Amino acid sequence: MSNRLSGCAGAMTVAVALVLLASVPGAGQAPLPQTGCPQEPALFHPCALAKAKTFSPPRTPDGKPDIQGFWRAPGSGTESIEEHPKTADDSGARSMIVDPPDGKIPYQPWALLQAKENRQKYVEPNTGCFPSGVPRVFYTPTRFQILQSPGNVVILVERAHTYRIIPTDGRPHVGKNIGLWVGDSRGRWEGNTLIVDVTNQNAMPWFDQKGDFYSDAAHMVERFTLIDADTIHYEITIEDPTVYTRPWTMVFPMRRIRDKGLELPEEACHEGEENVQLLIDLGYRIYPGVRRPSPR
Amino acid sequence: MRKRVAVELVGFGMLLMAVAVSAPAAGQSAAAASRGYTPPRTQHGQPDLQGIWQVMNTAAWDIQDHPAQLLFGLPPRFGVPAGQGVVEGNEIPYQPWALAKKKENYENRLTADPEAKCYMPGVPRITYMPYPFQILEFSDRVVILYEDLHVTRQIYTDGSPHLKNVLFDLWMGDSRGRWEGDTLVVDVTSFEPQTWFDRAGNFHSEALHVVERYTRTGPDHMLYEVTIEDPKVFTRPWKMSMPIYRRQETNVQLLEYECYAYAWEAADRGKK
Repeated sequence: MSNRLSGCAGAMTVAVALVLLASVPGAGQAPLPQTGCPQEPALFHPCALAKAKTFSPPRTPDGKPDIQGFWRAPGSGTESIEEHPKTADDSGARSMIVDPPDGKIPYQPWALLQAKENRQKYVEPNTGCFPSGVPRVFYTPTRFQILQSPGNVVILVERAHTYRIIPTDGRPHVGKNIGLWVGDSRGRWEGNTLIVDVTNQNAMPWFDQKGDFYSDAAHMVERFTLIDADTIHYEITIEDPTVYTRPWTMVFPMRRIRDKGLELPEEACHEGEENVQLLIDLGYRIYPGVRRPSPR
Repeated sequence: MRKRVAVELVGFGMLLMAVAVSAPAAGQSAAAASRGYTPPRTQHGQPDLQGIWQVMNTAAWDIQDHPAQLLFGLPPRFGVPAGQGVVEGNEIPYQPWALAKKKENYENRLTADPEAKCYMPGVPRITYMPYPFQILEFSDRVVILYEDLHVTRQIYTDGSPHLKNVLFDLWMGDSRGRWEGDTLVVDVTSFEPQTWFDRAGNFHSEALHVVERYTRTGPDHMLYEVTIEDPKVFTRPWKMSMPIYRRQETNVQLLEYECYAYAWEAADRGKK
């Protein structure tokens, strides 16, 4: 499937692709109400950035753009961050990868084989209620909440009660030998964009159910920009010379959940979890993560 | 072991002299608890409890006085230190059936303690687990993020009522907070009954009602007082208290303790 699509994608313009791939959900999604930007990532990306230039966001008391509230990202991303069709198991979607333009992860040859092996050999980490990692915390089907206070942006994710603390006070990253499921985040505001530098990956999460992965050398940079009252343009560039041939970038819209009086409920994931043992009994192994050779 | 039974028999005996034991107060007055310290204010004008905090005791193992003990099957360096209890009066006023249940829990604690299975520890045990936590304040809520199991608590201070018709009992309860002077008072209900107060088997039912009081007592100290009420298990409310210490290291931050992930990894490593 992926060989056929990548051959086609290279030859088409985006407009033609929209028509010919209408069988893939996402191609026919309604444009976002306030900006008219399409939701499909490759089209959303330039449209949203153009809208951001003229949008003046509301501000927190300490003068930063206010991105607080409840949000949701496209849940189909958890199936695969690349383009994938609707099936009995998947809702399907266009690729969230905007660079490289073919929408595929630029794996080194060994890593492409590893990615295929992951799904066949290992328990999908999210099955065990492990943290989804960055950026899958957003596009696993869940809700998340952003809170801001001077010196911190906090992201609370409903799924498995995961959180990310993003200090914005200029402190350095934690030391190199500490690997974390959600990485170590440091944020700063540039204009109306929150830029978050993410390091210290423990490389245990996958990008998606398909087995797409990164190593503990991965360095990610996120950009959150409010483009209208209810939409965040989210962009992440991932760099990992152990795994990929070049850096690559994903984009997707985060859409505000406007339910009144919403409180993020407790999701006691591990407490009711029984599937990992079933998978272990079938012969799946626990994914060990891809690590650079240790300097020590 | 014998000492523990003696303490519990004394406690049971005291049940029969119910009148002589006055019910503990819901908490010291806020002024007394603060030892005269007035904390700075947040941007929203509330007492500032923010920062990274941690307790320093062995309450997670046993909230009552306890001698040092080794963990069965592990080398001597993997033991638990002796500890002075955090329960006021060192007595937990169990109903007779519940005292028997507690003893049964204690016998089976290494496997029966839900926390040993990496389940969420509930309230107040999450506070005295040996991991740091971070308090953040916003206009309508206090958020506490715990390093242990990345547990999250949102304590709504907007005057909203407790959840009604809770579909699932909550491992960490439903927390509603208010300020009494400089004390954050947190009312917690809707508990999942499985959690224990400690590794020693002290337990509760789904009728548990917890009231926490957080009071700054100095630049780097906070007093934590907890009233426990559960008419299905205890004969009266009872109280715990302990200091909480601000972590002093430069750039200290929460890290991760993904207990169940480690358990799966260890089991997997044991295979070929």
